[in-house]
Amino acid sequence: MPAIDCQSLTKYYGDVCGIEDVSFAVEDGEVFGFLGPNGAGKTTAIRTLLGFLSPTSGGATLLGHDVTDPTQLRRARERIGYLPGDPGLDTDRTAKAFLDHQAALRGSAQRDELVARFGLDESRRIGDLSRGNRQKVALVAAFMHEPELLLLDEPTSGLDPLLQEEFAALVRERVENGTTVLLSSHVLGEVAALCDRVGVIREGRLVAVESVEALRSRGGKQVRVRVAENVSREAFEVRGTMNLRVGETVSFTWTGEYDALIDLLDGFTVHDLEIVDAPLEKAFMTFYDGDVQTMGETRGAVTDGGSVTDGDERLRGRR
Amino acid sequence: MSDRPAPWLAIARYEAAGRARGSAVLTGLLSAFLLLFLAFYPSLATSGIDLDAYVEAFPPAFQEAFGIISISTIEGFLAVEFYQFAWLLLVGLYLAYLGGGTIAGDVASGRMDLTLSAAVPRRDVVVGQFIGLWSLIFLLNLILPIVAYAGVLAVGETIAIERLVAVHALAVPYHLCCVALGIAVSTIFSREGIAQRVALGALFALFMLESVAAASEYDWIGWVSPTAHYDPSAVLVLAEYDFTGAGVLLAAAIGLILLAAIRFGRMDLTG
Repeated sequence: MPAIDCQSLTKYYGDVCGIEDVSFAVEDGEVFGFLGPNGAGKTTAIRTLLGFLSPTSGGATLLGHDVTDPTQLRRARERIGYLPGDPGLDTDRTAKAFLDHQAALRGSAQRDELVARFGLDESRRIGDLSRGNRQKVALVAAFMHEPELLLLDEPTSGLDPLLQEEFAALVRERVENGTTVLLSSHVLGEVAALCDRVGVIREGRLVAVESVEALRSRGGKQVRVRVAENVSREAFEVRGTMNLRVGETVSFTWTGEYDALIDLLDGFTVHDLEIVDAPLEKAFMTFYDGDVQTMGETRGAVTDGGSVTDGDERLRGRR
Repeated sequence: MSDRPAPWLAIARYEAAGRARGSAVLTGLLSAFLLLFLAFYPSLATSGIDLDAYVEAFPPAFQEAFGIISISTIEGFLAVEFYQFAWLLLVGLYLAYLGGGTIAGDVASGRMDLTLSAAVPRRDVVVGQFIGLWSLIFLLNLILPIVAYAGVLAVGETIAIERLVAVHALAVPYHLCCVALGIAVSTIFSREGIAQRVALGALFALFMLESVAAASEYDWIGWVSPTAHYDPSAVLVLAEYDFTGAGVLLAAAIGLILLAAIRFGRMDLTG
């Protein structure tokens, strides 16, 4: 039984679509990322899973409990940690009073450890805390009862880079101990650093689910090469190159096989060569360049990695 | 998990603690208000003006609204100048306003997401919020009779303790009903400010309805208003204790909380 099993989950606010026909499964111990711009439906999906919104159609299970049944969902929530994107904290209460209350509602086995780890001053009024420190309060509340499943909505918004690192380390530790994580973000780097698989949400629809590895490979390789010869642009305008720039060095994104690249370079005297993974942003942006039709086609292969090849085919085919 | 309190109790405690300072301030202000009015009484009593004749000239609806039976005695004076106005109307409206802010406010601010992400049944939230306002009601109705009694003695008058105790004991069901009305309204409107104003406006409209209806042949219509079941003037001036009214108010409070729990149990948390 997957930790999260989402079946055609749909939520409309009146006539406005929040999410539509969202299906995916997150296995035990997996870190799954929801990636999409603000307003794409990430928060709606998470809040529907938690029962804050009742689905218009479709359904889901969390830790094997039906989310449309309040009694069952409550049992699941006992074992869930939730971090909202914009946590509603009582600004006129101290962090201690708030965490005491949360502890009374959900337990607090690891509260002291987390408070110390994030350097939180519990005696201060939440209203007097910085955005980052408020986020820490919500983080402690989400993690302190050792949940089996973490639902984290934009978890690092407001955290400085150092704390983002600390947060990532905490998530990794929990995952090592068997915790399952669903994390939403519009920051690709965060998702890439933490997640095993990524679901891309656009306009309420889950347009693709890929492993982070597949997403990386879809982005191709960033190639920079310096050769002895004077090169013409035409020499590199072959199947597999994108974003070609020809100058003192030649740089391009290579989306083909390595063999073909080596064949291409074989015709030159190579002085310097650098091949790195293309930034994930590039791969990600392919989901946002308006090619809805193709995105829809990859949805079918949502829970296995088979769509990766299709994706690569698509990239080649489009050129 | 067994050492954790029931969710409704945890919520009630947290809410009550959050309101502690406001409750103390309100109690202090109302005490000052009461003492201020009492300070006027000696000059009024010795002025030689027949106040009862004066107030009898008021229109019946006005007399009803302000529960005017007699104003020349200390009981009548307290009833008209303080209990009918401050206790029935001001405190009632304020409690309805606070009740209106509970659920709607938590949903709109996102606090409800954090509460309900724990294994908390929604009915526990409604019950917890309701009980969280009890401490304010109890504080007001415990401190003010003491202040009133001391104040009356201070201006050289006497008053039956029994009546003073009764006017506050019977105020409790009324105040509970005002809070319950606010909480019920709070589950209907998604914006805190609107829920608060509607709750306040609804209680005021019911009060007006009762006042106007009492002077007409359709006086039974006024029965729907909580204000019809708590009459501080009758308690203080005539020593008439309306236990049936108190029962009606308690039943109404429970009914409104049940309705709120049902409504909240089904609603989407959209602020």
